Amino acid sequence: MGTRLRIADLAHGRSGDKGDTCNVGIVAYDDAGYAVLRRVLTEERVSQHYGDLVKGTVTRYELPGIRALNFVLTGALDGGGTRSLRSDHLGKVMYAWLLRMELPS
Amino acid sequence: MAPRTVRLGAGMAFWGDSVQPAIEMAERGEIDYLCCDHLAELTMSILSKQRAKDPGFGYTRDVLDLMRGALPTCVARGVKIVTNAGGANPQACAERIAELAKELGLGGVRIAVVTGDDIRDDIDRLLELGVPFTNLDTGQPLAQVRKRLTHAAVYTGSEGIVAALRRGADVVVCGRVTDIALYLGPLIHEFGWATDDWQRLGMATAVAHAIECGGQATGGLYAGGWQDVPGLESLGYPIAEVSEDGTAIITKTPGSGGRVDVGTVSEQMVYEILDPANYLTADVTADFAGLTLEQVGPDRVRIAGATGRQRPDTLKVNMGYRAGFVGEVVFTYTWPDAYAKAQRGLRFLRDRLRRAGFECEDDIVEYLGHNSMWGGRIPEPDDPELPEIVVRYAARCADADQARKVFTECVPLYNNGPAGVAGVGTRPPLKELFAVWPCLVPREYVEQSVELLEV
Repeated sequence: MGTRLRIADLAHGRSGDKGDTCNVGIVAYDDAGYAVLRRVLTEERVSQHYGDLVKGTVTRYELPGIRALNFVLTGALDGGGTRSLRSDHLGKVMYAWLLRMELPS
Repeated sequence: MAPRTVRLGAGMAFWGDSVQPAIEMAERGEIDYLCCDHLAELTMSILSKQRAKDPGFGYTRDVLDLMRGALPTCVARGVKIVTNAGGANPQACAERIAELAKELGLGGVRIAVVTGDDIRDDIDRLLELGVPFTNLDTGQPLAQVRKRLTHAAVYTGSEGIVAALRRGADVVVCGRVTDIALYLGPLIHEFGWATDDWQRLGMATAVAHAIECGGQATGGLYAGGWQDVPGLESLGYPIAEVSEDGTAIITKTPGSGGRVDVGTVSEQMVYEILDPANYLTADVTADFAGLTLEQVGPDRVRIAGATGRQRPDTLKVNMGYRAGFVGEVVFTYTWPDAYAKAQRGLRFLRDRLRRAGFECEDDIVEYLGHNSMWGGRIPEPDDPELPEIVVRYAARCADADQARKVFTECVPLYNNGPAGVAGVGTRPPLKELFAVWPCLVPREYVEQSVELLEV
């Protein structure tokens, strides 16, 4: 019964562009949530979740003092904010796709 | 006596941003400096194009609205303004501001022009000197786009701003300095920090990053609870009360909308960063990995824990080149079978384009309201009861004539395609694309200079 927990239940986030690279920052609401994020949001899992939206690599960085993980996605903006044909050419809502991820049971 | 702080206000975050928050901040924020960023990655391409058409333009003209509203207050209160609104033509920008100051009846205003970022006329000489300008993203050589370049601007640091302030400037007009330099310049000037004080410069870079995007730190775009942010319509922009050690309290204009808390500032801290331990700027390699945020009062967050290391030997160059044209159409199909009709309509469009000899480098189909944000990650709609579906088709073409065909070949959908279509509209203006060519230049080839105009 019920829907599975999502990353959005533990964290909020923001994303933006640097050329064809998109960064997705995920900020946990509390320490327990941060521990879960660190365990669940591996580079492999995040890469899989974005699928063909990201042509390049996914690299994860940690900012423990603000309970945040930063994901750097290369080849993620259809050639870059200035050339991309996507409506979201600046990657402003890429974070929300990660917040939508369901937590593994 | 309380320890001394310098109050930096973030007045603008991009070209076209509202000028109201900056005006209110000058009036009520008790700031020492109003720092205004008008330049995004692409802005320099647009400004260079304007300058090529008219040598009197090439700066972001919203700076004149800003000055009209804020300069009288700033002059009266001794608030200094630091801006990169000069864009591709800082000299012309400063001259217009000087004229405006006269028109407003302001006297004794010193306006500094900081130049040196524009290297478009030095490219061939630098190529001969062995600077390859290789594309940082793709590894391609500059020859690929050399003939299509619109501009070449170096992300320069705070040096010129510091020199201008030392010479008593009230307004500092720059071209492509880094957003961070707009904030570091005043701090280096006020606190007398050494230019190799990496610890303080790194910490202050984190402070600058916290406020440089204006309303994004005070509740704008807040994903952690947008419902709870009061007064988004009159959002106050952020102010940093910076201490001598580079740490700061982030707050906002009193009596304004929005909110400053650990949540809102955290989101801004992770905005547009790569490796947080290596945040490269022209002034310092900042390290945000140990960053901390602490709520110390209502709308007051203390930021600390960042540091820095030696600045990079190279500076980033923002070059732009003409990258073709986009042809784009949007149209809507209604119930019943909206999606099936949309598919048929797209087949119609593509078939007509093919017969018209259409050539494009790339194209995209999005269903607005369904999958326009996350593309193929969202399954195609399969509900025949869907009230409507909005189709967006866009194609990137090498030349304008090809791009125009997108609309021309779409128009017959109005009468000849599947039933239930609306919104094809009138011919939209063609969009010319400017792409960014990110590359590096050794720092020793770039020198800023400062000139002072007095009203």
